[in-house]
Order: sequence, then C-alpha cells, then structure tokens
Amino acid sequence: MEIEGEPSLVLGIDTGGTYTDAVLLEYETRRVVAAYKSLTTKRDLSIGIENVIEGIQIQDPAAIKMVSISTTLATNAIAEGKGKRVALLLIGYDPELISAFNMAGQLATPHYFFFEGGHDLYGREKQPLDLPAILARVNEIRGMVDAIALSSYFSPLNPDHENRAYRAIAGICDLPVVLGHQLSTKLGSVERATTAALNASLLAVLQDLMIAVRRAMERRHIDAPLMVVRGDGTLMSDEFAGRTPVETIHSGPAASAIGGRFLSRLDDALVVDVGGTTTDLALIEGGQVTVSEEGASVGQYKTSVKAANLYSMGLGGDSHITWGHEKTVQVGPERVTPLAYLAWLYPAVEAQLRALTMRTWSRATPDWLEYWFLLREPQDGEGGLSPSRDDRGRVLSPSLSQRERDLIELLRAGPQPVPDILKQLKVLRPAQAGVQELVRQEFVGKAGLTATDLMHIEGRYAVWNAEASAMAWKAFCQFYFIDPVELRQQVWTQMSEMIVHAIVTFLSGRPLHLSDRQRCLDGADEDMGRWFFYNSLYHAHPHLETSLRLCRPIIGIGAPAGIFLPDVARILHTELILPEHHGVANAVGAIAGSVMVEEELLVYPRLSHDGLEVLGYYVQAYDERREFEELDDALANARALSRERAVGAAIRSGASSPEVTMEELTDGLDTYRIRAKAVGNPRLAR
Amino acid sequence: MELERIDTKRAYERIRERITILELAPGSVIDDGQLAENLGMGVVPVREALKLLAHENLVIITPRFGLYVADVNIPDLERLSEVRLALEGLSARLAAQRATADDITVLEALRTEQANTPAKDSRRLLDLDHKFHQAIARTTQNGYLADSLERLFGLSQRLWYLALPQLGFLPSAVEKHLELVEAIKVGDGDRAEQIMSSHVRDFCDQVRRVLAGR
Repeated sequence: MEIEGEPSLVLGIDTGGTYTDAVLLEYETRRVVAAYKSLTTKRDLSIGIENVIEGIQIQDPAAIKMVSISTTLATNAIAEGKGKRVALLLIGYDPELISAFNMAGQLATPHYFFFEGGHDLYGREKQPLDLPAILARVNEIRGMVDAIALSSYFSPLNPDHENRAYRAIAGICDLPVVLGHQLSTKLGSVERATTAALNASLLAVLQDLMIAVRRAMERRHIDAPLMVVRGDGTLMSDEFAGRTPVETIHSGPAASAIGGRFLSRLDDALVVDVGGTTTDLALIEGGQVTVSEEGASVGQYKTSVKAANLYSMGLGGDSHITWGHEKTVQVGPERVTPLAYLAWLYPAVEAQLRALTMRTWSRATPDWLEYWFLLREPQDGEGGLSPSRDDRGRVLSPSLSQRERDLIELLRAGPQPVPDILKQLKVLRPAQAGVQELVRQEFVGKAGLTATDLMHIEGRYAVWNAEASAMAWKAFCQFYFIDPVELRQQVWTQMSEMIVHAIVTFLSGRPLHLSDRQRCLDGADEDMGRWFFYNSLYHAHPHLETSLRLCRPIIGIGAPAGIFLPDVARILHTELILPEHHGVANAVGAIAGSVMVEEELLVYPRLSHDGLEVLGYYVQAYDERREFEELDDALANARALSRERAVGAAIRSGASSPEVTMEELTDGLDTYRIRAKAVGNPRLAR
Repeated sequence: MELERIDTKRAYERIRERITILELAPGSVIDDGQLAENLGMGVVPVREALKLLAHENLVIITPRFGLYVADVNIPDLERLSEVRLALEGLSARLAAQRATADDITVLEALRTEQANTPAKDSRRLLDLDHKFHQAIARTTQNGYLADSLERLFGLSQRLWYLALPQLGFLPSAVEKHLELVEAIKVGDGDRAEQIMSSHVRDFCDQVRRVLAGR
C-alpha cells in the first residue's frame, strides 16, 4: 500500500483487570510510536483512562485520526450491580412460566411487570395490547427508575406491540426506553428481555464514560472520532455505543485477540493473553476472532449479544502463591500486589522480610508474607461518618465502621503484615478485620507472594525490589522444608499445566476435571481422560507414549507471556510467537479491529386464520414489514434491503468503503434469516 | 459526514433546559468556556450545542458582540402568538380527525396525571402541558406540523417561565385539556380547534399583561 503524506496516528486504550494501557500507533505501518500504562481504577474507570491519555507521549495531537477504547465497564457494572435502575415491561409473557422455570433471577432487574399482548410464532397477534395498564404503571414507577426496557413476545417477528408501547411511553415521560427487537433478532424471549434490561441499565453508565474520555481528549487537543470495541472485537462509533452499550460486553479480551493478530500478521492461531489477573484464550480463524453464536453470559445472566468465543482463567502474573489443601503449592485464583512492588514502594518491607528469615520456625508462618497497605485516603464525603451519595441522593458507598476506620488509621504508618494487624486490632481472623469492603472500594490493597516475585528472583523480569522477593521466597520454602529452586520449578510446572488444561478444555469444548497427578499416573485413579492428559504432559508410562499437538501456533500476549508460554508451546508441540510490543497488544487491538455492522432480516409465512394455508410471505426489517405473495420475491427483497441497510449503517458507524457478505439460514417452519454483514476499515478522518 | 457526538447531544439538552427555565437569562451574554465549566463538560460539545440552539432562535450569534441568549419582548410574543394560534388550532382539528385508540389512551393518561399533580408543582405541570401539546401534534401524523410546533413551543415555554411568578399555573388550562380530549375522542374537529385556539389566546393575553407590567 502506498502511503501518501503524513502517516495516520491512532490511539488505542484498553482497560484491563489490573492495568489500563494506551498505545499510539502508526496505522499503515503498524509501528508502535508510544505506549503508556496506568493502574486500572475499578471504582471509576474513567480515572485510569484519563491518566493514560494525559500520560502518553504525543508529539502532535492534531495528527491523531482516531481514538478507540475497549472497556470492561459494561461487564463490571453488571457483575457488581452498578448499572442504573431499570423497569422491565414484559408484554405477552406468561408469568407462571417465568416463575415455574425460575427465570425471574435471569431478568437482570427486580422491577419487572407483566402485561397482556404479544404475538405468536407466525407474527399473529396473540392478545390485544393493554396500553392503558402500561401507561398507568409507567406513571406509577416513573420516579423510581432511570430507564425502561420493553420486550414483547415474538417481537423480532412482529415488533408492533413494542413500538406502540414505546410511542405511548415516550409521549408521557422522558425516561430512555430500550426495545428488545432492536437489540436482537433471536427468538429466545428471556434472553431478549435480559439483554434489553441490561442495555437500559448501562446506557447512562457508558455515556458518562465516553463523555469523560472526550473531555480528556479535548484537554490534550485531540479532535478525532471516538470508537468503542464490541464483544466480538469489531468497532462502533461512540454514537452507536451510546445506544447499545450491552454490545461492549467482553470487549477487552476480544481486543487482545485482534491485537495479537494485527501485530503477528497471522490469520490462524490461538491467542493466549496473560494479564495480571487472568489469562484469556481466543481463537483466530481466517483473520477473524471466532464468535460464539450462543450469546455472551455475564455472571448469572444469559444475553443474546454476540461476543467472541473466549475462555478466561484466574491465573496471571499477580496470582497469589499459597500452600494448598493438597499439600502442594497453589497459584491463584486471587490476585494480589507482588511483594517486589510493595517493597519497592516501601523499603521497610524488605527489612521486615529479611528479619522473618531469621526467626524460629514456629514464628515464621507464611501468613507473615501477607501484607495490607493503604491505597488511597477516603475523600470528603466517602468513607466519612456519613455515607456518600450521588446527585440523586442514592448511597454510593456506605459510611465506614469504627473497625474500618481503625484499620485505615493503622495503615497510615505504612504496610503491615497481617498477623501484626490482627494483633493490634485485637481480632483473631482476617475476616473480622473489616478489610473486604475497604478492598472493594480500593482504599486498602493486599500484597503477597506472586509469580511476578519469582520472575524477579530469577532475573527474568526485575523492575522492582528483587531482594524482597528472594527473602519472602526463602521464608516460604523454609517453612515447608522444600528446596527453593525445586519449589520454584513446581510453580512454573503447575502454571504451564493449568494453561495447557485450559487450552484443551477450550478447544475440545469438553470439561476435564483434574485431580491428583500422581494418583492418575500410578493408576489409582481409573479415569482415562485424566491419565491421557497427564501422560501427555509428563510421559510417565514406560510403553505408551501419548501427546497433545496444537495444529495452530500460539500468539503470546501480555508482559508475562514470554515467561509462562514457552513451556506451554513445547508441551503442545507448537510454535510460540511473541510479536514485538506483545505487552500492549490489548491496546493495539482496540484500534486494529474493523468497523462492522450486521443487519438480519426475517422472512416468514403469512398464515390464514385457521393456520392451514400460506397466504404469502412477510419480510420483517426491524420496524418495517413488507408483504409478498411469492417466497422468492420476499427473499430477493430481503437480500437487497439487508445489504443496503448494512452498508448505510457501516458508513454511519465510521467505516470507509465497507464490503458486504451475505448469509442465509433457515430455522425450519418456513422461516428464513437473511444476514448482511458490512465490514470496512475505520475511516481515519477529522 | 460528521457523526453525532454523544457529548454534544447531552450539552444541547442541558443548555436548552437552562435557557427555557431562565437559569440563563434572556439577553444575557454567554461565555462558552464558563458555561462548559459549569456544566462539567468540554468546550467543543458546548460550542456545537450552541450552534444548534442558534438554529432554534434560542441563542443569537453575532459577529461583533459574540453569543447571547435570545431576548424576549412584547413584539416577539405577538408574532409568536400569531403563528401558534393558527398552527395549534390546525393541530387540534387534525388530531380530532385522525386520532387512533392508542393516541386517546396517551392523552387520557396525561390528563389523569395532570389532575393528580398538586398545583404547587408548577415545573411538573408545565412539563405535562408540553407533553400534552406534543401528543396532540403527534396525533396529526403530520411530521412537519409537529416539528414547527415543537420549535415554537420551546420559545413560548420560556415566556411562560417568565410570567410564572405572577401567574402561577392556570387551573383553567386543566379543564380546557379535559374538554379537548373529549372533543378529539368524539372526532369533533371544529370544537377541538376552537378550544385549542382559545387556550392559546388566553395564554398569550396573560403573558402580555405580565410583560407589560414589568
């Protein structure tokens, strides 16, 4: 490709579980010009994002042609119940069915109401819409919720009741209203209702974030289109994201996979992203992240949102190393701050750890390796004597208890080992010290022995205090009477084993429950699957050799990937590719995706009243319905219309010259889904 | 093609509300930097929003004197009333001819809500009145008419806020609405037009008196 004039600079931002990364990239040459890292601020992600936008080196802000973010905001807000309050109005749903199948907990809001109406699976009105009841209910709950979600039975086939209810509600109140049929053409009624409710609860949350990002961009004089990554790794403009925030679920891991592909230029590979908190797997096929057709799940909620097919495990560089119940070393799933980092911030910690190695055995228990420390002071209005509230008077964080305030007071003097803290607070167990809420609100951090510390000891990654790590490891090994070198090897072996296990589970789609390795190899455990797995890893059998081979290369992403993954690739007999800048591939992925819009239209028969005769065919294009006598005419019309709409929406969403691919599915019953997918590179313009 | 920016939309809504409820006084100078600061928003979206509001005659942009909030005065009121009188009347007539059962349901829900709102809650009552007029305009199924009326209503609502301290909310308006819904329900276009016109005329007369007394 010929490059004319100045290269186009693009800024990608990713908010991960531990870090928020930004990367400035020359789009055409894929050259990373600058990168910047900041801690993710879970309590308000916009703080971390503002930090990286302000911190990254930018020579000429005017040269930036696009900014794009991938964010865990939607996923976090759902998981932590931080979304806005939503009333979900269900039209034509059977209340008894919902309660019989225990699906009320699925609906993602406690405020749901049933109304008469809805359609059947041929789009015929099942019951007249009870509009007066809906309006009376809306007037009653208007002040108690922030948004309304509507889902009508079989609305993808016939959205008439959703539309009529929407028009009437918009006539009497100003709350934002989300319609189920505009988010999903799938027929699953509960998933559609859940998706609509989640989308409604996230509208203001995501809009606030984008406004914060826009402000930070403005302060740095960056005037460029703002894009947001979807859960399948594609991009949408901030205008679209503001309407369909639910589509950003899982966008972080999807962006990593796209970034890995972009930097490595490989079109078929397994992407393994090793972060601080989790390791995520995704598969690239034909240059695209594979997408799960089932809809993304978050916590207990099943949605009908398309997302990348991902596998996430609680293992990362900052996974806590402890002694497990099975008398072996255990890695994760909890994430803690590495002692190397803590001692680098607070030199006194190193001396304390050194002193620990000199103590007698019974006074050097491993709980002395666990530290709590103050991350930040409670500000005015938070954590004081009164609870903090938002501008509508709702409680954001409850006031701190006396015990919590005592703990903060204690930690003002610096980090302290947990046994000391417990003694001073006069409690026996950590659970009594009131630390959980303080950790959740990011006032207090936990530190301990991590894989990152072991990397410091071996000198493979040593940016902080390696001496502190060495002392801590010495104390840990002394207590359990194990050779430090050997135990370190055990940790690495265990981590490789966990990652290989995740890869096998992810790709095979079959669960494999591991148990004690030695019992499996000795034959005490008769399970063949487990034996096969362990024998392939450790070649224990004298006569039978088994092995696992991954037919695709592994693309390693994330700072610790170069350390954790060579063993994994060796065990799986494949190649490990670590692209340059693989440490920030997640942020690269935020800008490397294409802009994609998918339009799906339904074609289904129009039946006579007795249901015995086909009178013609409907083309249902969201709100518009067209009628045809012949199926062929209906299909031809649906193809043309979906293509036209996909292209229009892609251009509106910021794509330059999108290309369209068509797909047709039939789900039986003479019903067809005509799907047009328009994909283009983002338009880099001002 | 410039994409619609999410922050511009929000800035537009907030500034429009401040102008309507006179928090930004008629005729006052607008400092866009200061305004952005007050709203907790960026300067770029605030400027974009002000351009949109200039289009609606709520903000005046002059090359020499900068930006200011459009003033209100009696001549403006008269011209505004001429157009509203004609168009609101037309709106009511067409509504009576074209109303569907859904439209009637909405009008009745608004009327019930209005009856249940205490007289001292004038903000809410004004909001309901606005929604009532919007609902009738929508019932005409004429988008051009609804758009024109919406713009005029925005200007006229500001006058109402100006007169509000002297006027209070008009209890007669609630009764008028009741009669109007009945007329639309039975499809009596003449009667609907007549009620609406006198409703608008009353309003203008009252505001004129307050403005003249200033």
